[in-house]
Amino acid sequence: MAPLEDELKAALRRSEPSPDFTERVLARVAAAPVRRAPRVSQMWVRWVAAMAATLLLAAGGLEYRHYQGERAKSQVLLAVRIAGSKLNKAQKKVQMMTHRSIS
Amino acid sequence: MKAAGLLTACLLLAGAAGAQQLKWNFDKLAARASDSVDVSLEGPLLRLGTSFLSDTDKDQAKIKKLVGGLKGIYVRTFEFKKPGEYSQADVESFRAPLHGPEWQRIVGVHSNEEGETVEVYIRSEAKGIGGLAIIATEPKQLTLVNIVGPIDLDSLSELGGQFGIPEVEVDKKK
Repeated sequence: MAPLEDELKAALRRSEPSPDFTERVLARVAAAPVRRAPRVSQMWVRWVAAMAATLLLAAGGLEYRHYQGERAKSQVLLAVRIAGSKLNKAQKKVQMMTHRSIS
Repeated sequence: MKAAGLLTACLLLAGAAGAQQLKWNFDKLAARASDSVDVSLEGPLLRLGTSFLSDTDKDQAKIKKLVGGLKGIYVRTFEFKKPGEYSQADVESFRAPLHGPEWQRIVGVHSNEEGETVEVYIRSEAKGIGGLAIIATEPKQLTLVNIVGPIDLDSLSELGGQFGIPEVEVDKKK
């Protein structure tokens, strides 16, 4: 045990820093790059990007609504065409029969 | 409390509007048909489709006026590869909901030569026609139409004659 204790004591022995230690630390701190606040131009870029994204979403939404509207319009036209043609057929038949019975 | 009352009123209104739509079951026919058309428009989608119709185009403007007050349009057309793929029992199942007192058959035409029938039913309301149902059969085609809301039959028929459907000549023999 004694050699281990000796080794530990040697390793953990208090040692004084060199005289220029404080100066070196301060110099390092001064040389480190400073994280600056974002510049005004960077803020503009972010703002424009956010606006562009919002506009794109809005345009996409409008485009989808237009697609839905055109599709619904086609369906209305198809439904009226089918319903109207059947009704027209019945009406014409009735007219034809009425005309025949009169003549 | 007010919100709950409003919600209840909305549900009641929605129920009343939905109650007018005919409950037809198309499952059997859909399984046998070779082709089919399914148009089902109601509420906001019907209003959206109507709003896309042109005011300057003569026909579209007429259709816009015609469907403007409707609550729903439901059209189903089934086409079959050969005659006899649907039965009279199938057709009768579509007639059944129209036997109620609110429905009235106004036209029923049958052509033996072409094997076609067209039956037109209207739903009478205090203010006039509140709905329309058409059952049209051909040897290889069955069409069912249900329109919910006030409809002008003359305008609808007139529009039906304008979509490339040959006008049937009235017999002028004397």
